[in-house]
Amino acid sequence: MSRGAPRGWGERPPEHLEDRIVIRLDGEVIARSGKVEYGQGIRTGFRRIVAHELRLPEEAVRVELGETDVVPWDMGTFGSQSTATDGHTLRIAAAYAFQLLRERAARRLGAAVSDLVADQGSFRAPDGRTASYGELAAEAPLEGTLPASSDVTLAPGPDFAPDADRVEARALVLGEARYPHDVRLPDMLRGHVLPPPRTGAHLLSLDDAAAKAIPGVVAIVRQGDFVGVVAERREQALQAIQSLEATWSAPDGNPEPPLEAHLRSDPGVEAALAQGELRHAATYRTPHIAHASILPSAAVADVRRDGADLYVATQRPFGLRDEAAAILALDPKDVHVHPQHMSGMYGGGGWGSAAIDAVRLSQAAGRPVLVEWTRAEEFQRSAQRPWLEARIEGAIRSDGNIAAYRSEVRTNPHIYGSGRVPPEVAGMTSGRNAVPPYALGAMDVALTVEQAPIQTSAFRSLAAAPNVFASESFLDELAALKGEDPLALRLRHAADPRLRRVLEAVGDLAHWAERPKGDGHGFGLAATIYHGTYCAEVAEVFVSQSGKVRLGRVFAAVDAGRLVHPDGARSQIEGGIVQAMSWTLFEETKVSDGRITTRGWRDYPIATFQDAPEAIEVRFVGDEDTPSTGIGEPGSVPIAAAIANAVCAATGARVRELPLRPARIQKAMAKG
Amino acid sequence: MRYELQVNAQTQVVDVPPGTSLTSVLRDDLGLTATRLGCGHGSCGACYVLLDGAAVASCTMPVDEAVGHRIVTVEGLAQDGHLHPVQEAFLKEDAMQCGACTSGMLISAVALLDDNPHPEPEEIRDALSGHLCRCGVYGRIVKAVEEAAK
Ligand code: FES
Ligand code: FES
Repeated sequence: MSRGAPRGWGERPPEHLEDRIVIRLDGEVIARSGKVEYGQGIRTGFRRIVAHELRLPEEAVRVELGETDVVPWDMGTFGSQSTATDGHTLRIAAAYAFQLLRERAARRLGAAVSDLVADQGSFRAPDGRTASYGELAAEAPLEGTLPASSDVTLAPGPDFAPDADRVEARALVLGEARYPHDVRLPDMLRGHVLPPPRTGAHLLSLDDAAAKAIPGVVAIVRQGDFVGVVAERREQALQAIQSLEATWSAPDGNPEPPLEAHLRSDPGVEAALAQGELRHAATYRTPHIAHASILPSAAVADVRRDGADLYVATQRPFGLRDEAAAILALDPKDVHVHPQHMSGMYGGGGWGSAAIDAVRLSQAAGRPVLVEWTRAEEFQRSAQRPWLEARIEGAIRSDGNIAAYRSEVRTNPHIYGSGRVPPEVAGMTSGRNAVPPYALGAMDVALTVEQAPIQTSAFRSLAAAPNVFASESFLDELAALKGEDPLALRLRHAADPRLRRVLEAVGDLAHWAERPKGDGHGFGLAATIYHGTYCAEVAEVFVSQSGKVRLGRVFAAVDAGRLVHPDGARSQIEGGIVQAMSWTLFEETKVSDGRITTRGWRDYPIATFQDAPEAIEVRFVGDEDTPSTGIGEPGSVPIAAAIANAVCAATGARVRELPLRPARIQKAMAKG
Repeated sequence: MRYELQVNAQTQVVDVPPGTSLTSVLRDDLGLTATRLGCGHGSCGACYVLLDGAAVASCTMPVDEAVGHRIVTVEGLAQDGHLHPVQEAFLKEDAMQCGACTSGMLISAVALLDDNPHPEPEEIRDALSGHLCRCGVYGRIVKAVEEAAK
């Protein structure tokens, strides 16, 4: 039973055992979460957690994710929080289930709880008699509100092996993993939509004569400003869309007024800035970038009079369910969302526009419809990462300590479709990591969030990566003022011992003290605390005369607490580094006159095999008894500043705007 | 129009409009969805298949040109229930995250090793350079191909 209505920001529904863990008579254990898997390995992690608490082999546990008919309500899979929050809930649920089963076994076998041994899904009493989980669970429903974590006994450990095959891995190498693109239903049609040229434009006229004449076209659908085609084959639908003649109005332009928030306002910043021995100011910019999943969006909808099934890739199954229900005027419980395998979404998978295309077309056609966006559509219809500009000022006292830090950040909404969030939410999203994690004297951080002409949305780490690019570049600039070592400066200003530890560890890993400097070869450092995960990175770069950057080794020291799936965590950090070095060196969505003009990989190059770092070394330094924190995003956060700082160490060129294109670097080199 | 194709060692007959891309025929007519459609322009590598043993983009190949050639897709890599060594190596190195690029990578890796059983890392990067991985798993993929070469 899925429970409960959507909740507001930060609210947590009460958790029930029966929503989380089901044990069948044959002993099969099902663990349920409203989170979804998109290659970050949560299915594997959850399975390990539950199996560990129930003293079962991992194969005995099946994890169901995001199926809205059976899993508990969930706001969405964002912010690297799945292991931290849902993993924790599942751990408590599994431990509680174990406790209930053991009590039942003690009664049934007439033995003391402490004398029972759990083994392979059964309890064994000292006299050799056994009771299986399946039969114990069948005695009476396993249910109830989950106790507080202090009221359950957790299994000792962890003793997780470093290498576990991911649950999906085999299906992936066999080509059997099913993405929405691969769903084939009887009678299914192919659909395509004609999007308005700009958000908010209205359809004035439509000539569909040529489109109707294309063989295989079943219907042209027009509902208000929504225009689409359904056809027997994908190519036919696409060709029909290209044959439509449509005229559109100018967009209704009523941009939301900017939202302002203060994230930190220590007293005396102005005075401290004025009294510093050395004062410095700089402005940093990052452009719009695209999530650019390898497979463009796709979805299948099968809409009937009394209900609908959606086969989709989404980070918000329940949000999509409710949105589809509203369009179809159905009760949300009659809309069934079936998350399929997902091509990486990197935070952009919140809104499922392809799913909405499919819902409308299937409703109109009365048959199941598969919608597959083209590559150009994927670039042009997707919400982009906001641009961000940070103007930072700071001052150093004569003793070398930083006396003041003031920053003004301007950016767009980092959650889809909303300039209307409360200021504290804007602070958590658009202002994420705008306040540096160091003691920098008197600090003042202000945030302005304004609507962009194009749609913007969440992107891996939200505003943290752009904000940390700015603040960690600036720290290096301050260090350079006094000629101080960037690592020493950070260590001196890092009050948090866990931050100090990752800084020291990455310095050690990269042999920081012996690093080469200059002549086009340099090392750069940056660090962050992202949602409780500590991450410090060092990038080695080689910069050519023409300003082209090649990455050598990248080193990362990470403290994410207890690691449930160490090799998966390592893979996430590595992938975060590679993706973020791609943002840093290459990526910028082209926007002109309020519309995205980027069409394909040729005008949006991303890092290839040739561009990826020569090697990535990751060291985890967290304590096993510290709670798990996220690993999907932190690795991507410090890398831009680490690279920019390395470029400066290698060439003397300080570049404050991304991407770090050769022309920009060359220009900065010429300036010296 | 009717076309007779050799796919994964079987003869398949399809009836599609001339010029239909090989990707569409495989995915939409033959149900072989391991071959993925990422861009349709030959620039991402998601749709690669083996054509007489060479890795080629199927999205820019009209079905007309595939007639008379041996086509192998990822569904045809495992033999008698045994994974191909490249598939084994991808599992061992966990050389994938979301998996969207995996099929294309496997195909080019198989073609490379057939041609050059002991490639240097640089040769692996070269051979796979037509494939994009947005999850950034490049390093593990190179390791997996090295592993498969052992
Ligand atoms: S889909 Fe063929 S190369 Fe991208
Ligand atoms: S694993 Fe996701 S694109 Fe390569």
